[in-house]
Amino acid sequence: MQQQQPQPQPSPKPKKKIRVPRVVNGVEQMVEIEVDEDSGPGWGPNDKHTLLNHRMTRVDGPLKVAGAARYTYDQRLPGMLYGRILRCPHAHARVTNIDTDAASKIPGVQAIIQAPLTELRFAGAPVAAVAATTPEIAGDALRTIKVTYEVLPHVVHATAAIRPEAPKVVAEENNLQEKAKSGDPAKAEAAFATADAVVEAEYFTQRIHHTCLETHGMVVDYRGGDSATIYASTQGTFTIPGDAAKELGLEQSKVTSIVEHMGGGFGSKFGIGTEGMLACRLSKQTKSPVKLMLTRYDEFVMAGNRSGSWQKLKAGVKNDGTIVALQARQYRLGGLGQGSQAGQPYIYRMGDTYREIYALHTNEDSSIAMRAPGHPQASFAVESLVDELAYKIKMDPVAFRKKNLRDEVYHRQLDRGAQEIGWSRRNPVAGGSPGPLKRGMGCAVGVWGGGGNNVCKVDVTISRDGSVVVAVGTQDLGTGTRTYTRAIVAEELGLGINDVKEQIGNSKLGAANPSGGSTTAPSLSPSVKDAAIKARMMMAERVASLLGNPKPEEVVFSGGNVSAKGQSIAWKQAAAALPAAGITSHGEWRADLQARGVHGVAFAEVEVDVETGHIRPIKMVHIQDGGLPLNRLTMESQINGGMIQSLGMAFYEGRVMDAKLGMQLNPGFGDYKLPGSLEMPEMVPIIDDDDKREAVIGIAEGCIIPALGALANAVFNATGLRIRDLPITPDKILIAIDRHQLSQI
Amino acid sequence: MTSRRNFLKGVGIVGAGAAIADQLWSGVEAEEKPSAPETLSGVVKLVLDVNGRKQSVQVEPRTTLLNTLRNHLEPAVTGPKLVCDMGTCGACTVLLDGKPVYSCLVLAVDAANKKITTVEGLGSPDKPNVVQAAFVENDALMCGFCTPGFVTTISAYLKKNPNPSLAEVREACKGNFCRCGTYPRVFEAALSAAKASQG
Repeated sequence: MQQQQPQPQPSPKPKKKIRVPRVVNGVEQMVEIEVDEDSGPGWGPNDKHTLLNHRMTRVDGPLKVAGAARYTYDQRLPGMLYGRILRCPHAHARVTNIDTDAASKIPGVQAIIQAPLTELRFAGAPVAAVAATTPEIAGDALRTIKVTYEVLPHVVHATAAIRPEAPKVVAEENNLQEKAKSGDPAKAEAAFATADAVVEAEYFTQRIHHTCLETHGMVVDYRGGDSATIYASTQGTFTIPGDAAKELGLEQSKVTSIVEHMGGGFGSKFGIGTEGMLACRLSKQTKSPVKLMLTRYDEFVMAGNRSGSWQKLKAGVKNDGTIVALQARQYRLGGLGQGSQAGQPYIYRMGDTYREIYALHTNEDSSIAMRAPGHPQASFAVESLVDELAYKIKMDPVAFRKKNLRDEVYHRQLDRGAQEIGWSRRNPVAGGSPGPLKRGMGCAVGVWGGGGNNVCKVDVTISRDGSVVVAVGTQDLGTGTRTYTRAIVAEELGLGINDVKEQIGNSKLGAANPSGGSTTAPSLSPSVKDAAIKARMMMAERVASLLGNPKPEEVVFSGGNVSAKGQSIAWKQAAAALPAAGITSHGEWRADLQARGVHGVAFAEVEVDVETGHIRPIKMVHIQDGGLPLNRLTMESQINGGMIQSLGMAFYEGRVMDAKLGMQLNPGFGDYKLPGSLEMPEMVPIIDDDDKREAVIGIAEGCIIPALGALANAVFNATGLRIRDLPITPDKILIAIDRHQLSQI
Repeated sequence: MTSRRNFLKGVGIVGAGAAIADQLWSGVEAEEKPSAPETLSGVVKLVLDVNGRKQSVQVEPRTTLLNTLRNHLEPAVTGPKLVCDMGTCGACTVLLDGKPVYSCLVLAVDAANKKITTVEGLGSPDKPNVVQAAFVENDALMCGFCTPGFVTTISAYLKKNPNPSLAEVREACKGNFCRCGTYPRVFEAALSAAKASQG
């Protein structure tokens, strides 16, 4: 059984330093770590897998379609109370008095607490919270609490906030804060002299909402005593216990968080949040389980929005298509927060560039990381600018992009996309097609990191009866985490996907990273693979005597059989040779099983009715690379999702703030337009199989970036109207037509 | 039918919010001329027929069918999801006597004596109905929070129109929102379920 050769002295494994993302509140920061240069067998060629890179239906699908998947919102515990939050109706105010006498007399109201802040800087800021025996009674209590406010001056629109006389969002501080400068302004200025054409324009992107269908919130199961369980709708199982323990006054190790299924996060669900803090306090005070899920209104006014942007760009181009200069002034519109916006010229080569980045504050809740933080904003502006430059020098926008993009991957993806959308059918003259229904096409490109980090600890246990469990505390946001976690183990052990069960979503299981920055798959799957390989080797050693004593690496696991030296036994027979407790392997992250850097290209075709301003999306194509596709079916779904969320931002969605009241005017699905079934174009999600990297890379964020620019550019190609202010709604089209016609008189 | 708003008025909730609401609604009330002037209050006992099982439940009459299913029945029926609570998203869709309704807009007292079918009543994880099976097969779900609503809507629609076109499927589920972006595959699932039912 044992190898008889003398064991060589283990020489230290060669190490290398790599940069990996560490995600804080959904935003990635790069840190350097040291890893083994080569640490074991790899994934093998992407086209040689038996389960991975195939179309696997998701393993939690049957539960979800039958209403049997238990989400946080579905938890109902004995004696559970329902929490609700009272919100400030003013954009800037101080609380001078709260009268809860009447509210506390309502039968069923069990607790009323005040939120910690006394100066409130946005409409919707939490003022108080209640716990009651039904959500209806909790609502009664909110309506009965009398709050007296000292109302202070506010400003909610960026264009007003930038004025020197604007009310200060934070006393003693300027609303406009300089954040970064890069490049040489004099060089950029000089480079314009060499340009044949110049485009100077301002671009705005609106604040859109994550609108997770399962609102933020949690069920805090604490009944006194020294331990608690928190059911949380979160993107990070392990971001919950620490915060909750502090609020409950418990040891962190005594707090368990559970995330069986969760109904959408998109970057907005990390940590317990204000709502979690209030839920913990209500539970602590009542010694009862408290469920505090935000209402839809709450979700709009304080649970997340994508940072808005205002970008002043000026670029110069030569007649041969070379962009030679860029000046950029970028404002991040993050309300009370810092906002996010990738630096220009994003991924283009633009010769001599100079940029300034500012945060411009308003009396609105802080923006929160949202799928590809900062990228859609930068991409929309630069892709519009690039398009304007291309039309200005009468160059094909695809050829123009290739000219100014160094990375060959984009060239191949642009060619593929052009073919898929039928770019050759496109009328090169913007607005050139006859009649009121005008069709047009546009394209754009995007980039994302998508690398992993060394966090995940995975256990694979094989029992004597042949059952296999892979366990890790990670969470599945609807990205298919459960499915590939199972599949990696099943494939390694030569089993079917249903022969393996996964346990996830529990902070008592092995560590896992929060799902931000598309880091989950590249952080988790290497650890799962490592655990699976180790389990296979342990099993191979145990069954060697049944197979003529092969070396462990000679044992083949395939098709539900374990074979070596011409002999084969069934999996169950092999498992019967295991010790009574079975075997458990522990997987660690391996840098060589993941990589970083994904490319995506989007094309769109739209039809614009220039009599009504109505835009009909006709077709969208997105080509995305991502190394080894863990599951083709779910990856395509994610690409579709990226396209659809971009479509929403391009044409439909946007927070509307009333300048005078300082309130959001559309905090509900009745007035905040999400893309629905009637708006869906034909969608073509394409996995770029020319990417031969045998490594897992996160793709979720990459596929939300470029479609925005592609859609806006398609509107231009259709109409000859350049709308630089998202969303592109019918009124903006009609106003642009009016302006255009007036300019022709 | 008692609507949610005239009920709210009926119980006479005190407080600023309710007072404003009453003013806003008073005009509507006058025009509506409610045919049943009686006002329910306190806790009422009713029997609900949910997925073929009759259950007695005690709720305040203002309680929606959705909240009754989720918060008062034993065991809880949580397939229908609470997402908007105002009839805009479709996640809480259930069938009342076979007809899809938003259960956040129906009072439980108005659902008594009717057959209530939720997504759990259409099939189970082990024995899915044809629409549920098609949703899994076509990956017509991601986070899954909108899924029960879509499944219920489409299951009811295919009964009415067993062989729909793509355009008809889009029309049928225009009252359901998905945020992850599953629409194209929801359409595919609906069409493939229709095909499968045709044999």
